[in-house]
Formats: sequence, structure tokens, C-alpha cells
Amino acid sequence: MSEMNQDFNKSKAFLIDMTKCTGCRGCQVACKQWNQLDAEKTEFFNGEGYQNPPLMSEHTFTRIKFRDYEKNGQNEFAFYKEMCMHCNEPACASVCPVGAFKKTKEGPVVYDAKRCIGCRFCMVACPFGVPKYEWSKALPLVRKCTGCYSRVKEGQKPACATTCVSAITYGDRGEMIKEANRRIATRPEKYLKKLYGAEEAGGTSVIYLTALPFDELGFKPVTKRPLPSYTWQALRLVPGIFLTVGSSLSLLSWFNHRKERIAKEEEQRKSGQAPKEES
Amino acid sequence: MTAAKIIINEIKGYHRFVKFLIVLVSLGALASLVRFVFGLGVTTNLNDTFPWGLWISFDVVTAVPLAAGAFTLGAIVHCFHIKKLEPLVRPAIVTGFLGYSLVCVGLLLDLGQPQRCWHTMVYWNPHSPMFEVSMCIAAYTTVLFLEFLSPVCEKFGYHVPLRLLRTIEMPLVIAAASISTLHQSSLGTFFLIAVDKLHSLWYNPLLPLLFWVSAMCAGISIIIVEATMSHKWMGQPDESELLETLAKILPWVITAYLTLKLFSLFALTEGPLFNRPGLLVLFAVEMLGGVIAPLVMLMNGNVRENNRLRATAAWLVIAGVILNRFNVSMFGMEAPGTFYYPSFIESLVTIGIIAAHILFFVLIAKYFPIFEHHPETVDYSIPDNFHKTEKGHAVHGKVAGEA
Ligand code: SF4
Ligand code: SF4
Ligand code: SF4
Repeated sequence: MSEMNQDFNKSKAFLIDMTKCTGCRGCQVACKQWNQLDAEKTEFFNGEGYQNPPLMSEHTFTRIKFRDYEKNGQNEFAFYKEMCMHCNEPACASVCPVGAFKKTKEGPVVYDAKRCIGCRFCMVACPFGVPKYEWSKALPLVRKCTGCYSRVKEGQKPACATTCVSAITYGDRGEMIKEANRRIATRPEKYLKKLYGAEEAGGTSVIYLTALPFDELGFKPVTKRPLPSYTWQALRLVPGIFLTVGSSLSLLSWFNHRKERIAKEEEQRKSGQAPKEES
Repeated sequence: MTAAKIIINEIKGYHRFVKFLIVLVSLGALASLVRFVFGLGVTTNLNDTFPWGLWISFDVVTAVPLAAGAFTLGAIVHCFHIKKLEPLVRPAIVTGFLGYSLVCVGLLLDLGQPQRCWHTMVYWNPHSPMFEVSMCIAAYTTVLFLEFLSPVCEKFGYHVPLRLLRTIEMPLVIAAASISTLHQSSLGTFFLIAVDKLHSLWYNPLLPLLFWVSAMCAGISIIIVEATMSHKWMGQPDESELLETLAKILPWVITAYLTLKLFSLFALTEGPLFNRPGLLVLFAVEMLGGVIAPLVMLMNGNVRENNRLRATAAWLVIAGVILNRFNVSMFGMEAPGTFYYPSFIESLVTIGIIAAHILFFVLIAKYFPIFEHHPETVDYSIPDNFHKTEKGHAVHGKVAGEA
């Protein structure tokens, strides 16, 4: 895509090291405070383990997912911070008919609520199931993690990254990937040798490191190809098809009609009427 | 006059049915009012995991190909100049116009911020298939409206606008066909973005092309069904000879569709095909009942010549296309373990929209010359100079005046 010649190594990214996460949910709380989100009535053991609320929603932009698993005969927890991935080439921005989603040069993918017409195509398109809808309202809008753009723009870190003591690192995407690879290299016994977010959906601004296979944590397997390219390969043919179909039909009808006109004129001439002049 | 008799007969014969339709439409209108007052969340079964439901699946994705009769026929008749199909054009245009207007209604109902629908005309995002579809639908509804103006002008005997309409008729027909190509296929493009969501039985890079070809199948079949029904129930002249011609064209289009479908399924699909038995059944029903069965039927001359059988085959094609659109936009999109079904309000609105379509068609057919149209009196060739068109209209005006 033409306007996408942005250097993603320079845009900001989250490095989330799940092995360092203690499941304190500080980020969840910080996010709610900064974005002034309503509380949700939650219940422990409503989903899996201590996980709550059960899903991200219009009131919850990020949450810690809990997974029980057994390691060396001992029960342990695995955690996964769920949030918008701030894709390099976001599907949400590509499909929005009014361009309400935009990838900023700083990194976060932001949403302009004033433009949105509420078609929910962004929700259908996002491979990570991130955008949520204000189902409780009569004139609903889309809600999702803003990447704390208002803070990042001013040179600050996002609220969740500021609160988190150890698991979230925030900085240039290129640096974050290097740092992640360094950690894998120094502690190979601790980490899984794979970064989630480095290539998923064409690369995202959220990079995960874990000890456990990603699918066991509930990470969705996602294509490596940037999603907008899937629709663009069809859409870019649109002007061509329009012109081809239009002009071939025009030619065809001009030809067919001309044949008939000539036949008619011939007939008129034969029947003795004065022939109409050719145009 | 025969026209008057037809109208009286119609009112006598269809009074109760029309009344019933009016009740359904009012219920639908009431339900949409409820939806606007209380919001989508309360009145529909949509949620964050299933943001598009019945209104997108039926009122938009399915209704658009069902309204394809107008563009298919317009192109066949005017561009390929197969004149004997002419009498079918007007009913097809009316159906198309109604279909598209109701698609617009369906879209508006589904938007969370319907008051902002004009944003699509102001904030352009050419990368969005939705942008393209909304532009096309707006353009196409306008084109169909202009084409629909012809019978209206005839009815009231407005000659000057008629002449103008006649002059722009061919460009309109061509515009209609090219715009339709675009948005019929773009509806398929919608789902190209759902890479890991839509099941591989339907997801493949040729989806837009498949949508377009199947829309043509639907378009031709709709014309057959419509003409057969209006002959049977609305006392319209028997068009079987014309329909036989259409029934001869149809198997070719279906074959093209089948070939494309099989090719894309076996050569271009990446994911597993046989991992969801439920979807496999839906797929089998769609292909066997909606594509192969009518194809086999229509290849038989006896079927093509028999009114009932021909209409049955056309119905099968239509049902197949409907099921295909639901499979793509609803069933195939459901992740394992989730289940969406439309709420009472959603269903009521959709029923109202269908009823409105039939009701308006019956009413328009009653008051405007869409069937009592005598194409042989009209000069349909591209006008060379105003003199010629004027002559055509003078004759035509008289006919319309008498009717
Ligand atoms: S994760 Fe989804 S919502 Fe976030 S930027 Fe990517 S496509 Fe958009
Ligand atoms: S719901 Fe709003 S933000 Fe999402 S695609 Fe539609 S218009 Fe764009
Ligand atoms: S970046 Fe901001 S909005 Fe996003 S999860 Fe963190 S605190 Fe919440």
C-alpha cells in the first residue's frame, strides 16, 4: 500500500515478556484509570482460573488472560496480556469505509470516533478480535485500546507500560525485537524460540515472549501476510474492470445498434421514403 | 380498457394478500423503530464475536444478487440487442430499483450511527470494499431510479423528460452493468479480509469473481421466476417463449460458475476442507441442490419448455445463491463453539423488508405501465438526431395515453 512506507523499526512497540508477568493486573487497572473506563461486575472462576472479566469489552481495553498448566508435575499459571496489537498494516484501518482508523507514525493505531458510521467492518476484519462495540448504547461507537496515543505523542509511555514493574518494555520496535532476541539467546532454557507479533499479520507493535507454546496461552494463529493485501489484490482491479466492462459493452451496443439502424434506413429507402441523413 | 380490467381484477383477486403485506410492512417498520429507540445491543442478538448478523447476511449480501436481474437483463437486451426479451426489462428494472432501495434501508438499520451515512461520500477510503460497495449502491440506485422514471413519465405523458431519458438510456444501461460488476464482486471482497475466520470451503482468492458469476445466475433465474409468477397471479401475458431463451443461457452461466468454484476449491484453497461436518453439510446442500441439480434439469429441453419445471429449476438456483451468501457471511464465519441466531426484532424487520418489496412491486405494477409496455412502438436504437427520437415518442406517447 502506497502510504505505508513508514519505517516500522522507528515506531514504538510493546515488548511483553510473559515469563516476567505476575498476573497482578496492574496494567488492567492503570488502563481503566487513564482511559476513564467503567468498572465491570466480575466474578472469579467465571471463566478460566482467576481470569476476569471474561472478555475484553467496551469497558475493558486490556486484560490478563490466565491459563493453568502443569510443569514438572507442579501446577503453575501462565499469563497473557490481551490488547490491540497495533498492527503495522492494520486490517481495521484498511476496511473502514470512512477511514476512521489510522496507523500513526508513532506506532499506535488510533480511532477517530467522529468519523465512524458504525458499520462494524473493523470488528469483522481484525484478526485478533480487538475492536469492541458499545452494545449498551442507542448510538454506539467502537472502542479499543488507544495505545495511549495522547501520552505517546507527548513522549510518555502508555499507562499500562508505566505501571508494570517488569513485564512490559516500551520503545522503538526495532530495539524491542533486538532485546527480545537477546533475552532468548541469553536464557534459551527459559524462553520459547519464537516471537509472537514479529511477523503476525505482517508485523505488529506488540511483541510477546513466552515460555509456553503460544497456542496453549490462547494466542490465535494468524497469517504472516499483511491483511490489507488480501482485499487489495481484488480491489486494485476495480478501475480497470469498470473501464473494461464499460467500454466493451459500449462498443458492443454501438455496433449492434448501428447494424440495426443501417438495416432500417435501407428499408426506408426501399419503401420510397426519404432517407434520414447519416450522423 | 384491458388495463382497467386488469387493475380491477387485481384488486379483487389480491385484496387480502395486499392487506396482509401491508400488515407485515407495518410490523417491520414498528420493529425498526424499536431498534432505533433501544439500540442494536438490546434488540439484536449481535455481539462482539458476531458483529454482523441477519441484516448484513440477508438484507445486504443476499438482497444485492437477488436484485441482479436488472443489470443482467439490461445488458442482454440492450447491449447484445436480443430484442425479443424486451418486455421483461421493465419489471426487472422495477425489481432492481426496489431491491436496491431496500438494501439501503437494510444498511441504514444496521449502522450504529445511521445519521452519519453521508460520511461515506465525504471521507473516502478506496482501500475499503465497504466504501466501494456503498458508492456503487448509491450510484446504481440512482441509475435504476432514472431508468424507472421512464414508465412514470409515460404514465403522466411527460414528453420532454422522456426524450431526455431516452437519450441517456444506453449510457445508463452500460453504467448499470459496469457498476453492478463492481459491487456484486466487491461483496465477495468483503470476506477476503476474514482470512482466518471464513471457513476454507468458501474462502479463496476468487471469492469476488464467484460472487459476480453467481449473481448473474441469480439475476436470470429471478427474471424467470418473476415472469412466471406475474403470468400466473397477476394476469400478465405468457412470456414462456422468452423464458425458454433465458433458460438456454442459464446453464452456460451455471457451468462457468461450477468450473470456477471447483477450480478455486481444489487449486487455490489453503486451509482444511473437511474439519467441520456441519459446514460440510451446508456446502453439499448448496452445491448439489443449488448448482448441480438445476444445471442437470436445465440441460434437458423438456424442462426448459415446461413452465412449472423451468420455474422450479430457477427457484433452485435462487435458493442456492441465497444459501451461498448465508454460508459465506454467517455460517462459515462462526467460530467453532459460537452460535448466532437472529432475534425476534431482527427477523421481524427482515420479513417487513421482503414484504415491502413484494407490496411495492404489486402496487407499481398496478399503477404504472411496466407490463403494458409495447416495445415495438419504441425506437430503442441509439438516437442519431432528435428528429428520430421525437417521432418514436410521439407514437409511444399515444399508446401510453390510451392505456
Ligand atoms: S489488532 Fe486489530 S484493532 Fe488492533 S490494529 Fe490490528 S487490526 Fe486494528
Ligand atoms: S465501525 Fe466505524 S471504525 Fe469500524 S469500520 Fe465501520 S466506520 Fe470504520
Ligand atoms: S496502551 Fe493504554 S489503552 Fe492500551 S492497554 Fe495500555 S493503558 Fe490501555
